[in-house]
Amino acid sequence: MKKTALHDEHIALGAKMVEFGGWEMPVQYKSILEEHKATRSSAGIFDVSHMGQVFVSGKDALNFLQYIVPQDVSTFNINCAHYCQLLNKNGGIEDDLIIYRLEDKYLIIVNASRRENDVERFLEHSKNFDAVIEDKSSELSMIALQGPNAHKIIEKAGIDDINQPKFFTVKKTKLFDCDIFLCRTGYTGEDGFEIISKNEDIVKIWRKLLEIGKDFSITPVGLGARDTLRLEAALCLWGADIDETTTPLEADLGWSVPKNKKEPYIAKDIIMAQKTGAVPLRKKLFAFELKDRIIARHGAGIFLNGKKCGYVTSGTISPTLGKNIGLCLISFEGDCKNLATSLNTKEKSIGTIIQIMVRNKMYNAEIVKKPFVEKKYVK
Amino acid sequence: MTIQPPEGILCSKSHEWVLEEGDTYKIGLTDYAVEQLGDIVFVELPECGSEYAKGEVFATIESVKAASEIYMPIGGKITEVNEELINAPELINENVWEKGWLVKAQSDSFAQDSLGLLEYEDYREEAV
Repeated sequence: MKKTALHDEHIALGAKMVEFGGWEMPVQYKSILEEHKATRSSAGIFDVSHMGQVFVSGKDALNFLQYIVPQDVSTFNINCAHYCQLLNKNGGIEDDLIIYRLEDKYLIIVNASRRENDVERFLEHSKNFDAVIEDKSSELSMIALQGPNAHKIIEKAGIDDINQPKFFTVKKTKLFDCDIFLCRTGYTGEDGFEIISKNEDIVKIWRKLLEIGKDFSITPVGLGARDTLRLEAALCLWGADIDETTTPLEADLGWSVPKNKKEPYIAKDIIMAQKTGAVPLRKKLFAFELKDRIIARHGAGIFLNGKKCGYVTSGTISPTLGKNIGLCLISFEGDCKNLATSLNTKEKSIGTIIQIMVRNKMYNAEIVKKPFVEKKYVK
Repeated sequence: MTIQPPEGILCSKSHEWVLEEGDTYKIGLTDYAVEQLGDIVFVELPECGSEYAKGEVFATIESVKAASEIYMPIGGKITEVNEELINAPELINENVWEKGWLVKAQSDSFAQDSLGLLEYEDYREEAV
């Protein structure tokens, strides 16, 4: 199992370590619920060094990216971040990505478990372009600092509000004399930052942020609360809510796919047919709230009028709402097509009652709006 | 989890404890199990009067991360369930030996069923 540069820090903080995407990572330090609440009310600091960083440069970097994602990369401004997807030839999501346009190159953040797949795919497609793919994942580390106090901690660390990057932008700067990328991004629905540095600098940055953060009730947060936080914000997790069998439109990520991109890209015909409505979706991702005190977890069956028409992709207790929430994929094919016609439009779908089977018992759940907890981004 | 377990408890390798109290047996989860589970958010308890053999699933405990089935450390008939846990499952995290008990049961097979159970110190040595 791979270890991040912060591994010993986690052990010293008493973290419980688990395997995740081939990495030994902290799942919790003291309590998932407390870590969750601290991130919502003050600040949480996360080691996300397992995620990969791939740089793309060269004359054709833009053309290469235009080909591998459905997003229109030509519209990305310098120092801006965008949510994108790497698709297979069927339009299925091989991975979801954050792409930063830097001054002279692009930076792609990939999921830990998908890094090898993605890099292989990038190299394969880059053969047709004058583009250089550099996987720097093993040299770089990443910390997320999330929550309403995150910006105050960064300010006290020497970068005042005025000089902090705005929402979904990045700044190449220095923190505690270390070179970093300071990104106003995250995976919690809160305002906050992701900090990328060289491996050898990350322990210093981690320790100093924890020290400075004491006055702002900073808490180290493990993957357990990272999952409940992202689910409250209805942010998809690759391998649970999205994978190679689901297109961005089916995953309700249509907002990220432009209608008028001129350049060709992988599976463009399929994506555009779904985007324009020329071809109906085979299934769709919905958000639900359970009526009962039961957690429906990944894999639990979704039933419409007694017929199995889907499954739960992610489910948890929402520590913020005290309710049981989740995401599910519901089929629009075969018999399921006619069972819940109200699910065909977003407006009508809200309030639809579905059934979920947990340990051989049926429970009622209601389709609700996403996100479960309003995002607190500072734009 | 610094509270010491009550004297006389016996633990199963599947991390339940049982304590003889008069003519019934109190059953709960061990401190080690609770440490592993983390924050407990729901408890599904059996109905009074239902009977279980040793090793049968009688309850489900939900932590934030996962649902775990809980096995009867001895065979018996449920006489009482800890109703307080329905609205306050965190009592298991806070006080696993006293307020966090799960059920009470009557057992005719205790002498036989308890043979495979361990005293707390031996259990900790084996489990951890």
